[in-house]
Amino acid sequence: MAQPPSPVAQSFRIALTAYRDGFRRVLSAPAVLCGVFVLTFLLAVPLALTMRGMLEEHLGRSLEANTQADGVNYDWWQEFAGQASGQTSGLATTFTPSVIGFAPVLDNISAIFDGQGEVVPVTAALATYLLGWVFLFGGIVDRYARQRSTRAHAFFSASGVYFFRFLRLAIVAGAAYWLLFTYVHDWLFADVYADINRNLGVERTAMAWRFGLYAVFALLLAAANLVFDYAKVRAVVEDRRSMLGALVASVAFIRLHPGRVVGLYLANALLFLVLVAVWALVAPGAGGTGASMWLAFIGGQLYLLARLVLKLQFIASQTALFQHSLAHAGYVAAPAVAWPDAPIVEGMGAP
Amino acid sequence: MIPRLALCTLALLIVLPGGDTPLHTALLTAKQSYDQPVGAGRSPRNARYEIEVRLDHGARTLTGRETIRWRNISANPATEIQLHLYWNAWRNADSTWLRERRLGGGPAPRPDMFGSIDVTALRLRQESAASIDLLPGHRFIAPDDGNVLDRTVMAIPLPAPVAPLLDVVLDVEWKATIPRPFARTGWIDDYYFIAQWFPKVGVLEDEGWNTHQFHAATEFYADFGIYDVRITAPANFVVGGSGRPVERSPISGPSPDGTATHRFRGEDIHDFAWTASPRFLDLHRTFEHPTLPKVDIRLLLGAEHRHLEERYFKIVSDTLRLYGEWFGAYPYDHVTVVDPAYQSGSAGMEYPTLLTGRAAFLSPAGVQVPESTTAHEAGHQWWYGIVATNEFEHAWMDEGINTYATARVLNEVMKENYVERRYFGGFVPWVFRDIPVRRETDGNRLPTFRPAAKQDVPSTPTYRYWPPTASLITYNKTALWLNTLENMYGWPVMQRVLSTYFERWKFRHPAPDDFFQIVNEVTGQDMAWFFDQVYRSSNTFDYAVQDFSSVTVRLKPDATSYRTTVVAQRLGEATFPVEVVTTFRNGEKVTEQWDGKDRRATWVYDTAAQAVSVAVDPRRVLLLDVNYTNNSRALAPRGEEAGLKWALKWMMWMQDLMLTYGFFV
Repeated sequence: MAQPPSPVAQSFRIALTAYRDGFRRVLSAPAVLCGVFVLTFLLAVPLALTMRGMLEEHLGRSLEANTQADGVNYDWWQEFAGQASGQTSGLATTFTPSVIGFAPVLDNISAIFDGQGEVVPVTAALATYLLGWVFLFGGIVDRYARQRSTRAHAFFSASGVYFFRFLRLAIVAGAAYWLLFTYVHDWLFADVYADINRNLGVERTAMAWRFGLYAVFALLLAAANLVFDYAKVRAVVEDRRSMLGALVASVAFIRLHPGRVVGLYLANALLFLVLVAVWALVAPGAGGTGASMWLAFIGGQLYLLARLVLKLQFIASQTALFQHSLAHAGYVAAPAVAWPDAPIVEGMGAP
Repeated sequence: MIPRLALCTLALLIVLPGGDTPLHTALLTAKQSYDQPVGAGRSPRNARYEIEVRLDHGARTLTGRETIRWRNISANPATEIQLHLYWNAWRNADSTWLRERRLGGGPAPRPDMFGSIDVTALRLRQESAASIDLLPGHRFIAPDDGNVLDRTVMAIPLPAPVAPLLDVVLDVEWKATIPRPFARTGWIDDYYFIAQWFPKVGVLEDEGWNTHQFHAATEFYADFGIYDVRITAPANFVVGGSGRPVERSPISGPSPDGTATHRFRGEDIHDFAWTASPRFLDLHRTFEHPTLPKVDIRLLLGAEHRHLEERYFKIVSDTLRLYGEWFGAYPYDHVTVVDPAYQSGSAGMEYPTLLTGRAAFLSPAGVQVPESTTAHEAGHQWWYGIVATNEFEHAWMDEGINTYATARVLNEVMKENYVERRYFGGFVPWVFRDIPVRRETDGNRLPTFRPAAKQDVPSTPTYRYWPPTASLITYNKTALWLNTLENMYGWPVMQRVLSTYFERWKFRHPAPDDFFQIVNEVTGQDMAWFFDQVYRSSNTFDYAVQDFSSVTVRLKPDATSYRTTVVAQRLGEATFPVEVVTTFRNGEKVTEQWDGKDRRATWVYDTAAQAVSVAVDPRRVLLLDVNYTNNSRALAPRGEEAGLKWALKWMMWMQDLMLTYGFFV
């Protein structure tokens, strides 16, 4: 008689299954991917156009534009930065060499870990973007949970159904992250790190401490992220109306299956690191204008598309993992939402 | 003028004989009338120090005693001695140094950061009688700002005036608390960098004592002399100092109290700094050159920077070579390079025959760490160490000249030199290989000068500059106008200016006019108009193209011509002669020489070819122009192309940011 698999092996197997299943669900719903890509693209366009206007205005008819078009005119760049730094919007201050090649990845992750804020227009765009995700998330999880095409009207109906629930959840999440960034981050880096660092005469040691504390902070962020992700999954799969109840259920699920939950999260995180490493190797530099400029842009968009696939893979695989733990792997409590589903709306449509 | 015979007679009456006798006694026009080398020395050697100091690692204190043999090389008798007690700048929060640092937005020091120095004994030695205790008569003075809470300058009346060319010998004892790092001085963990640490005589000039308080934005000024220093520290500490290591006692291992005494001797130097840490790797190389003298390079390298050993040695050797070839040979046979501990605050500082570099654990190839700072501080051996300007009053004369020269060195020796940014708390570097560092603009620090261009008139004594922007005038503006001079006259002329200046003023204290005089002499021009603007004014330079058009006109019935109108404009208050170059579609160029004095100048050309662009100062001779983008115009500008390209780059940064924040939903 064969030995039953060990709990670790079993967790690994289930996590791996969910991991694969997650990819299958993401790739079988390309419209979802397109939708979030469009969101990521369109919300960046207005500010990019503003930035373009600022750059063009500063360059004017100057010959300095030639070298900035063909490569990098750092003399001009610094002149622009110096003269534009006084602008009230502050948008010009975000135009730094960190926009080139792989540097945005470092710049943005570093800014989060070092608790650096963004200027007002960028913050506004970020808030809108996150709100967009809050709206779409209901439809996305619903689509992945059902594992079949729901078509646009059902997708957006689900998004609408879950929007206010997820908005409430987002408020709780926002409060949690605010606490993490305001108090925990401050404590870790302004107190603990500063106290340790104050007496260190060896940079390598200071670096090890800082990265150790980054790891602690990253673990806390990941833990919060896991809880909120599974709360969303359970809210949709089990049609929960109470988001506090969903959070409690999420914690219960994670506590019940810590191995497979963490294993799956690590597998997804590892894939993120691989993707970022590949991008570090192939990210195009400043380049020139014309075809090479568009190729570089397309390359960048493909990288961002891959990041979006990965983001969706997180939620899809977590949905799969949760559903695998149920008696029926494709279980979704609520019936598929059909639009219009409110009598008043139907009434409006009547002659 | 006092007759020499009378001076000597007076001196014999009141002062001990001693020290070297000056060979040249003719009165000079310098600020110290008897500023001449003595004996076998290269300098007047009029401030000689024999110091014994003990470092108490546990208590973080120094206990020292010194014998100062000081000779008056001014034209007038000295009625008092003035001593710098620099460490009292951190004795209380109301010192001038800390007040000035607060003006610059610096944080208030934590209570355990303070340091101080207290003179416990001060006696005037007499040959045939008991020494005289001078301490009761001491008082603290604040010649710069009258701050009664500042104790960085002590004045001690002498029982009798000291005539020119005669010596006094003072025996001084003191105790000092070593601060947490301030101004390249202090301790962190088991690393010490000890600078400006001993009671030090000010400079007596013909006009009187030049003994400034310690200021946040300026450095130092001292007479040349001989330093014979014995440092007692825990035996496991590696100790480095100015001058040449002479002996260690005991030769190896500890003495019974667990310490060892290290003796250093430096000749013709005007300061002495030292460092101690058990973590130093003590590395040596010899600089050799076909025409320059050998120099022993001692590198005290932090173990974590072992991988930077070659880069440190190379940049020091390169600087010794290039400065030696350009300006004059390094006159000492040794130099000590210190790789400072992390957060020691001692990075990037120069002392005679000793300098500190600056390194980072992650220092990829192609960026200037540790090269930039190390080259700069090595260069200070010429501009500060040997040509010993008054840094309190004319900081530009060492920092500015040296910034300009350092940029030249880096340009020569760093074939790959790119812009770098650091992330994750400053620990993780990223090299932008699309963006090379340019000597003329980045090397001379134009970007940071631009917003501070009007902050101070450089001829103002530096200690009176606005502290937060003082360095932007002393370093950056000077380097930019020196490079502008190079652009005007060429490097051979500029090199001759600086080598003449070095040769004429080595081991002495030149003033600004001494430098200007040499520029005039070497260029054969009266450059007063230039120095009036870059040195005696804070006016800015800004030339622009106000209007540019090239339209068809029918001057002859059978041919189409183009009428090109160019209007150049002076937006800044400062003036400079500039070229105005118009380029035509057939490749021809028309160059106009504009004296740049009027507010604008107009040129009209009727030509067969249409003009395509115009540029004011296209060779960028004038590096001080604060807005260079407006210096040119094109009929078919590429601003839209450039704007689109960079807006797309920025958009990807923005999208990446959104996705990164997307983690939180």
